[in-house]
Amino acid sequence: MKPRRIDHLVALFSHLCALTLLLLMVTLVGYLLYRGHHTIDRELFFGWADPWQALTFQRQVFDGLFPALIGTTLLVGLAILIAAPIGLAAGIYLAEYARGTTRTVLNLLFDLLSAIPSIVIGLFGLAVAIVLHRWFPGRFGPCLLLSALCLALLVLPYLIRATQNALESIDPQIRQSGRSMGASKLQNLFYILLPHRLPELTSGLILAIGRCAEDTAVIMLTGVVATAGVPHSILQNYEAIPFYIYTVASQYTDATELNRGFSAALILITLCCGLFLLAFFIQHHLQRRLLFRQEKP
Amino acid sequence: MKYLFQWAAFGSALLTAAIFVILYLLSLPLLSQGTLWTVLWQPWDPQHGSFGIYPMVVTSLSSAFVAVAISTPLCFGCALFITQYGPRNIRRWMLNLVRLMGSIPTVVYGFTALFLLVPRMREALGGSGLNIATASLILALLIAPTLILFFVDSITQSSQRDCHTVTALGGTRAQVIRHAVLPQAWPGLVNGILLGLGRAMGDTLISLMLAGNSVQTPDALTDSARTLTAHIALVIAADVASLEFRSLFACAIVLYLFSALLVIGVRWINHSQPLSQRRML
Amino acid sequence: MRTLQSLFVSFAVVLLMSSICFGSDLDLFSDQHGTLRIAGGTAHIPVMKEITKRIMTRYPDVRISVAGGGSGVGIQQVGEGMVEIGNAGRAATDDEIARFGLVPFKWAIDGVGAIVHPDNGVKALTRTQLQAVFSGTITNWQQLGGVDRTINLYTRDQASGTRKVFWSKALNKGDISMAANVVNSNGAMKTAIANDPYGIGYVSVGHMDASTAPITLDGVTPTLETVRNGSYGVARGLYSLTKGQPQGLTKAFIDYLFSGEGQQIAADKGFIPVR
Repeated sequence: MKPRRIDHLVALFSHLCALTLLLLMVTLVGYLLYRGHHTIDRELFFGWADPWQALTFQRQVFDGLFPALIGTTLLVGLAILIAAPIGLAAGIYLAEYARGTTRTVLNLLFDLLSAIPSIVIGLFGLAVAIVLHRWFPGRFGPCLLLSALCLALLVLPYLIRATQNALESIDPQIRQSGRSMGASKLQNLFYILLPHRLPELTSGLILAIGRCAEDTAVIMLTGVVATAGVPHSILQNYEAIPFYIYTVASQYTDATELNRGFSAALILITLCCGLFLLAFFIQHHLQRRLLFRQEKP
Repeated sequence: MKYLFQWAAFGSALLTAAIFVILYLLSLPLLSQGTLWTVLWQPWDPQHGSFGIYPMVVTSLSSAFVAVAISTPLCFGCALFITQYGPRNIRRWMLNLVRLMGSIPTVVYGFTALFLLVPRMREALGGSGLNIATASLILALLIAPTLILFFVDSITQSSQRDCHTVTALGGTRAQVIRHAVLPQAWPGLVNGILLGLGRAMGDTLISLMLAGNSVQTPDALTDSARTLTAHIALVIAADVASLEFRSLFACAIVLYLFSALLVIGVRWINHSQPLSQRRML
Repeated sequence: MRTLQSLFVSFAVVLLMSSICFGSDLDLFSDQHGTLRIAGGTAHIPVMKEITKRIMTRYPDVRISVAGGGSGVGIQQVGEGMVEIGNAGRAATDDEIARFGLVPFKWAIDGVGAIVHPDNGVKALTRTQLQAVFSGTITNWQQLGGVDRTINLYTRDQASGTRKVFWSKALNKGDISMAANVVNSNGAMKTAIANDPYGIGYVSVGHMDASTAPITLDGVTPTLETVRNGSYGVARGLYSLTKGQPQGLTKAFIDYLFSGEGQQIAADKGFIPVR
């Protein structure tokens, strides 16, 4: 076969692949929109309860997504609150202090942590909870706090890498300008380096939020349940959107419930993609950096 | 302050190791009945006192490999589209779309496939439509962003000079890929495939919702079967002492070791370069 | 003065009477607060959800969480003290009761029946046929007088009480094929069969509705009526178990299950109340 002909075939193949992927995505989102959009209304969130009473927690919501939304929000907030400081600190250590073998070993372990399947982390959390429960009866079981701790562990490597990458990609000139003006290493870090890379750090954080919000495997072992209402404390069971979708998928009883599942899926996908777009915007547009730098001839 | 950073780093690293140690300790009573090896080779039949995880290991491996086998050509094509063949103004949009795809929750994939794909698979293959093939198809979609981003990165990072040389010699774009890009980009391609494999094997919801979860050792891709991850999600009990529950830790160890193997493989190819954040953005 | 006193007394009596007549069984929870965790049997879930909804609507200070898992999980978790009430769709074994000091409360009777998709032509089987189907000896609907399609088996996981009852009473402890798809709740079983025209599974009689069709076993169709009069033999009790005698909120919940309202809810959800 002539080279030209091969080239055309490869071109055709690549276009077909891209088109297939595009079509699959359009089908996925289109189907969710088609099935889910018309049930997104007040009732979807609050069931039959009065929205105002629900929002002020005077009244429990049943047949609505409100408790699941609150559950997911609390869960993600708590997980990020735990993971962010540790991730930031560990990332700084890795980028600014660790050298030699220590650095290699830490890098390896963090890669390993990021590769551990989420269900394994969930099982680890459950096992720890059961053992703790044995030692302190009645105190600790699967709950919101446990899920948040496990999710924090899940997103920790992402946060560490985000920090590390952000710091390591700093121009040496900027790095040295602070030091040459007499700033200590810490001053340099907090007043120059970190603010300089704030967009990357923020987008890393937002991506971690998205990762927490979508995960189902960890929470299904560590305390999420089908019916719990809005939790009073972090030591209680809770509801969450991804688990709600899973429950509906496996055991919906009627068309209304199924439609609510579609709406929940639509909400979750919008939330996750929205967070992604936010992170993307912060990283690429606030910095006015060209996104697509490497163009091939 | 430095020590605070150090503590955070070492603490997190220690946790990674602690996970393995705890999983290992908790699976000991099961392993004491034999070695990890015998647990790996036995079938799952609790009613007859057999707590092996062989069927789940087979299912996990086969569904992950099939997913990668489906995804790789598709993703390579997409990567070529993004780097070489696509109209210039569309390439960038395509790449961003792929990144966006990475943020789609796996439970949403599973949910949608249950209504769009499963009935079609039932008509096409017979059976219930819940089988390894169905799960693999969706897993292939799940890992596509990982593969494409790695492929695109490694293709764009290959030497421009070589590409120009081939072009100058009158080579077509296909020849540039064959003679200039692939020889340099292959480690990146392999990395992408390895990480994709890890993601496919580590995913829970898709196989839980789509693979059927039967406990048999599958003979064909059209069989219903359960992966290691789905097994962990299905067998929940609070009785730590029961061997049934202990077998979950054997599953977890297999998953842990497999992902560790992949990471080490990737780093070996990469020569101890830390994996970048490409997986997420 | 005396008239005033008698007026007061009679007023108090009327008030007491009216609170008995017009008051709700929910009053059991009037001075309760805190959390109650329920897990286990999935046949119980519709009843548990309804009760939870009523209580939490009336008394927002009470938090009740309902999880599934299966009867085995319910018994284990209440035994370990991870939940306050564990549900089971089978009688707890003597060993389980002794080991954890459990107290079972049987609040309804339920049956377990095989179900198929409503469009399936096969709606009656003998016990031998049923056993052959579930053990995987009969693999095609044609062998049972249906269409030429493979039979898709659905079963429950090991923790399921429904599975245990069906296995011992309908299948006479015969094997269940390893090739069967596994689902993890009664609700999931119903949904799976409603979506698979060639599937067969088994589910609590209380969960049966128009989305699936019950299989007539040896001439008896599993319904509320046949279970009640004893002609359909694959029956069981629905239990809620506590570790030791229930106290406080847990006690109120168990009492409510046996109250007029609680029993009515059980009946509404398709079970046979014990009172």
